[in-house]
Amino acid sequence: MNAKIQVLLCKCCSEVPELLNIAKLEKLASESGNVLSVMTLDALCDGKELAMVVAEARIKEIDRAVVLACQKKDVSPALIKAYKRVGVNEHLVQIVNIREEVVLPHAAEQERAQAKAQTMLLSALARSRLLQPLERSSEDMKTRNVVIVGGGVAGQAAAKEAAKYGVHTIILEKTGKSVTAPGVVMPHATLIGGKGYGGNFELKIRVGESLEDLGAASVVIASGGGWSTLKGALAKAVRGAMPLYEFHQKLHAEQTSAGTVVFMDTPDPAGKTLKVQDYAWDETLETAIELKRKHPETAVYVIFQEMRASGLSELAYKEAAELGVKFVRYDRSATPKVDPKDPTTLSVKDLTQGDELKIRLGTMVFASIPASPDNQIIAEALRIPMSVDGAIRRGSIQRGPVSTPKPGVFVCGSALFPKSREVAAAEGQAAGKLAGEFAARGSIEFGGIVAQVTQEKCSACLTCVRTCPYEAPFIGTASKAEIRVQACQGCGMCVGICPSKAIELHNYTDDQIMTESKTLLGGDF
Amino acid sequence: MIVAKRKPLNEIAEMLAPYKKVTVIGCRSCVAICLAGGEKEVKMLVSALKVKNKRDGRKQHIEGTVVERQCEKEWVQEIEAQILDSDVTLSMACSLGAQTIGDMYPKHLTFPGLNTGMFGVPEEQGVWSEKCVGCGNCIIHTTGGICPIARCAKSMLNGPCGGSANRKCEVNLEVDCAWAAIYDRLKLQNRLDLIESVTPAKDWSTSHSGGRRVFEREDAKLTPHQKKGKGVT
Repeated sequence: MNAKIQVLLCKCCSEVPELLNIAKLEKLASESGNVLSVMTLDALCDGKELAMVVAEARIKEIDRAVVLACQKKDVSPALIKAYKRVGVNEHLVQIVNIREEVVLPHAAEQERAQAKAQTMLLSALARSRLLQPLERSSEDMKTRNVVIVGGGVAGQAAAKEAAKYGVHTIILEKTGKSVTAPGVVMPHATLIGGKGYGGNFELKIRVGESLEDLGAASVVIASGGGWSTLKGALAKAVRGAMPLYEFHQKLHAEQTSAGTVVFMDTPDPAGKTLKVQDYAWDETLETAIELKRKHPETAVYVIFQEMRASGLSELAYKEAAELGVKFVRYDRSATPKVDPKDPTTLSVKDLTQGDELKIRLGTMVFASIPASPDNQIIAEALRIPMSVDGAIRRGSIQRGPVSTPKPGVFVCGSALFPKSREVAAAEGQAAGKLAGEFAARGSIEFGGIVAQVTQEKCSACLTCVRTCPYEAPFIGTASKAEIRVQACQGCGMCVGICPSKAIELHNYTDDQIMTESKTLLGGDF
Repeated sequence: MIVAKRKPLNEIAEMLAPYKKVTVIGCRSCVAICLAGGEKEVKMLVSALKVKNKRDGRKQHIEGTVVERQCEKEWVQEIEAQILDSDVTLSMACSLGAQTIGDMYPKHLTFPGLNTGMFGVPEEQGVWSEKCVGCGNCIIHTTGGICPIARCAKSMLNGPCGGSANRKCEVNLEVDCAWAAIYDRLKLQNRLDLIESVTPAKDWSTSHSGGRRVFEREDAKLTPHQKKGKGVT
């Protein structure tokens, strides 16, 4: 097949011509093989020039494009839509970000900038010639169920929000407590296993003593934190112990009781080792300062093994100390103790001075609470990653604060990290909205840039099956690996690790990548 | 499976330095599965050598290829021309593959690219552990399915020894004591009486100590007539 390439050079609102010689780039492009059309545009992102672009593409029977512009997300959606109308496959449109990769970093080096832009153009052209058109297909969801794991504030908020999309919400509540939410509420129900992918999950749940199967289009994890399971020696022995966020709320509502306040890192449920999520120290210091400002007469202690405050929060040590907050460091081998006969006195050995301190307790505040041990089971059931703290990990704090890396699985509330009811409810709403919207689509799209196995090369070594985070590869009836395209996210992990080079990622084949790299770097390797 | 590990790049480069034309040959069997010598490793090594040669200013022609099983002559024969066209072959199979090529083309140089390690089991992705040494006389039905020859540092038939403490071996505190594991397994199987009985010295004539071992199966061997028909000698 002979590639027919259209090259678009966007002036990026005239930022580009100030640095680069557009005429030279145009000439280079038009003299390259397979290039049938070269157009220079003022601002591709405003869409006014798209009609002109596709008219030319239609006349020249263009089948692929190389676009020198800025960020993909600014240019791509409208352009791809326009190209689609004239039969240019979306996977054959390559966007080269010369604004961020050339214009901005090399603003003061005209020669280097020009050379780099030219090399990038040539390598994109080299790759473009090798690209293949790819199709996407779709599959109907078998159910409109949105399964919500946990019936606390976050779970209830999620159910309410998801129900607005006309989907069927099902809350799995671990305990028998009453849950007010639309849809079905299953008491004494937990998620214990599952398979499938966003749109068509087949979950295994335990309801009371029996095991049941449950289909789901999307899942919201609202399983909460581990406070209720915190049964370490200290929490049991001390009356009035509470997690930091609860104390914070009380402080704001002027409901704190008089007497000494001790902030401490937190025993894990087994009561043996102690650990604190790092972020909790920032909040501990802020809360201690706030408390001391409001009630200077209150004696405030911060007891810790190892404290890490981030960035400027380190200054809070000094501020807290100046306000009279007492810091006591102890050693793992001598953890603070409360005498069961006298639950109001905490004894702790000060590591710095070597003295045994006895502190008369008013309120005991745990700096952080451990993640729920249920997270492990939920994460394994849905094959999603956990954080080092044992919480459920979200995709990205900016782009998906209530999303997990797995499409169709959302997370909210203290399953992420301990937080107040208000924040948990807000997150629940957000997760519910996304899960509801996901399930209401009714079908899932897949394909395009996905992995494919060359079965003759496969030795069924299971490496891809073990590596894939989405469970896309499996060993099929021919005893060779196959890819479940509905689950494949095109991440390329199986491709990279396959020892027999039996797997390729569409449009990221070795040939395509090496050709591009060789043009970029020059030479053979 | 046979578990191997690639030799360090510098060692390989030094081995190949005097030669102008190099063929690197991988194997799609055990060493591919243990991520040591499959097509990916061959391609990566070829690339690494090319980069190193470029940096060191050395001129060398390097090509890579892979065969299904390098320990079998028929598969090796398929790339005979490529082997003989080079000054040296670097085998990325276990030593069996390297020696097969070496025996087939005795005048040609065949060097090992891997260190062949052991008969191992993939415990998890990227972790292989030794569980058999091929002694030729298996006794694991009496030891709870755990081989003391491979898994005990002293290959003791009656254990544990006095160096076993807290389920660890005195050789290295990170090594599990095989006999502690055997005890646990036999206890689980309700066969602890086996640990009391004394196992006499083993017949080691089946092991490597008697020199190179050759297994023959008369009923599977081809007759001279059949061999002639197939052109195999």
